[in-house]
Amino acid sequence: MYFKKIGVIGGGTMGQGIAEMLAARGLDVLLVEKTPERLEYSYSLIETSLDKQLEKWAITQAEKKLILGRIQKVVHLAELGSCDMVIETISEDLDAKKQVFAQLDQVCPNHIILASNTSSLSLTELASSTMYPERVIGMHFIHPVGKVDLVEIIRGLKTSDTTFSETKRFVEEVVHKKGVMVYESPGFVTSRMICLMINEALHILQEGVASAEDIDDAMRIGYQFQYGPLEMADRFGLDSILAALDRMFREFGELKYRPSIVLKKMVRAGHLGVKTGEGFFKYDKDGDRI
Amino acid sequence: MKILVINAGSSSVKYQLYNMKDESVLAKGLVERIGMDSSIVTHKPTGRSEVTEVSEILEHTAAIRKVLGLLTDSEHGVIGSIDEIEAVGHRVVHGGEFFSESALVDGDAKTKIRQLFDLAPLHNPASMMGIKAAEANMPNVPQVVVFDTAFHQTMPEHAYLYAIPRVLYHKHKVRRYGAHGTSHDFVSKAAAEFLNRPIEDLKIISCHIGNGASITAVKDGHSIDTSMGMTPLEGLMMGTRSGDLDPAIVPYVMNKEDLTVNEVNSMLNKHSGLLAISGISSDMREITDGVAQGDANSTLAFEMYTYRLRKYIGSYAAALNGVDVITFTAGAGENSVVLRKKVCENLTYLGVELDEKLNEIRSGEPRRISSANSKVEVLVIPTNEELVIARDTFRIVQGLES
Repeated sequence: MYFKKIGVIGGGTMGQGIAEMLAARGLDVLLVEKTPERLEYSYSLIETSLDKQLEKWAITQAEKKLILGRIQKVVHLAELGSCDMVIETISEDLDAKKQVFAQLDQVCPNHIILASNTSSLSLTELASSTMYPERVIGMHFIHPVGKVDLVEIIRGLKTSDTTFSETKRFVEEVVHKKGVMVYESPGFVTSRMICLMINEALHILQEGVASAEDIDDAMRIGYQFQYGPLEMADRFGLDSILAALDRMFREFGELKYRPSIVLKKMVRAGHLGVKTGEGFFKYDKDGDRI
Repeated sequence: MKILVINAGSSSVKYQLYNMKDESVLAKGLVERIGMDSSIVTHKPTGRSEVTEVSEILEHTAAIRKVLGLLTDSEHGVIGSIDEIEAVGHRVVHGGEFFSESALVDGDAKTKIRQLFDLAPLHNPASMMGIKAAEANMPNVPQVVVFDTAFHQTMPEHAYLYAIPRVLYHKHKVRRYGAHGTSHDFVSKAAAEFLNRPIEDLKIISCHIGNGASITAVKDGHSIDTSMGMTPLEGLMMGTRSGDLDPAIVPYVMNKEDLTVNEVNSMLNKHSGLLAISGISSDMREITDGVAQGDANSTLAFEMYTYRLRKYIGSYAAALNGVDVITFTAGAGENSVVLRKKVCENLTYLGVELDEKLNEIRSGEPRRISSANSKVEVLVIPTNEELVIARDTFRIVQGLES
């Protein structure tokens, strides 16, 4: 299989990151959003992200232009028929995703891999909305996509060996990240473990065992985390953490996944972390701690 | 046999089509400013007029497609069909310790070249793009890679080792490899030929001053030391590369500016050198224009650049215990009159005496620019890496057929 043109559906944080990373690796990207306005907005945020890298000497003007030049803006899924692979990364809404996959199934030739960047939904269920479930697979990228060189590759019940091996080759040889194989299970490996750790940090905070600052310092300095668990939660978005914990709580039915009360309160107050400027800590518009 | 030689740089592709029957060049050219909206393609069929086209060429694949189009063009072309090209030779900067000589491109060679990306972050990926683009356009045509590090394999241990724990050499092959070897090799031999003296009698300091720049001490025809190190970042100040600096700056700046390894690598390789100091350009022509117009930043960049070059010449005179010949080659070395003047005017202690008139002559031929009284011969020798690559490619591909 030859990977040159990749469709990315959804221009949110993850979609922007995936599109930018693929383009930086020299691939042509068709970025899909529902409306031209949203598409422009996503594209402008990719440009902002590249400007930040330019400021840090990570890329040159020419490279910025090249990367942007490889990203094509698309509003209709029908235009993805020429893609060598499609990655869906819209919001975590099972019905919406199923609809996208049913449409892709019509548009893309039946050997083209259809991947979802879902962090917790069932691949088997997504695949059930298609006529060729063997080509549906999960490719879970981690934020920030450009910097984290890991992808969880998730096999649904009907995902074929070819689909898996080609996806793994794509991840490792084309985009140069490490691919780990995961069988379908809520939260896979990364979300399941990190959400539990964050939830535990929140219990510690709630019990008054240590302050937010000290909890983060303890883990950051003590165990060489780049960010402590609470800042990590702020960066992921507290609403996403809550949603993930809720889903795992429902799926596994175990108390250890029950979201902390503090987390619920913060989300209800609209303190979602970096994206709203405030979570457990405060942030400026560049996402730096104040 | 017709051989296409490709020299893919970070933002340029030079090409020459050779007819190996008589080593004649059928056509040559250059795609410049790849990645910018005004890329310049200059195509020169031998004996006919030059064609220049300005268009947007964003990557190497498109550049090579353009080149093949021009070579087979009904008006400016020199061959009827791409099929006439029987082999392709590529210049590759870094061969590490994998390659002590040129090699046929196969899966193994490609893997090794890729493994060396860290060592030549600006160049090996570009060479790889050249190889892939040639493969895509001319499947089944054998390709050969000629390495810039090969000539420097003769450096003695005391020159190629760094004074750091030796385990790093044994485990990770951390050592000096040098670059521009094909050019230094060609130029030093051409200098001896020009002077009509055996190369074994000469102590030569070879200055390759292009967008990347390096300087080599050649004794008995062998490289005994060269300014580029494990990667092409060490040594002289260059267009966008810092050259020598205190290594302690790296962790200091990473900490202060919160930079990743990739970011600091890119800073030193792509955002430093002439570009960083002048704030204008990485191109020596624009810098010397700036100097002429009295621009302070360009003047400082030019001063730093030539000062560092002169220091290296001095240190290699010491390494060789004397110097008989100083050669200038590559873009700025062959074309910048003021650069050569500035460097040579402070080498009088070595007995260098520049003839200003000779220095101002522009020509594509090897020439002397020192006066009759100069104790050191100063020569301008246009480099011809392409010919060396074509010869190696021819030899290897012929071996394949027999």
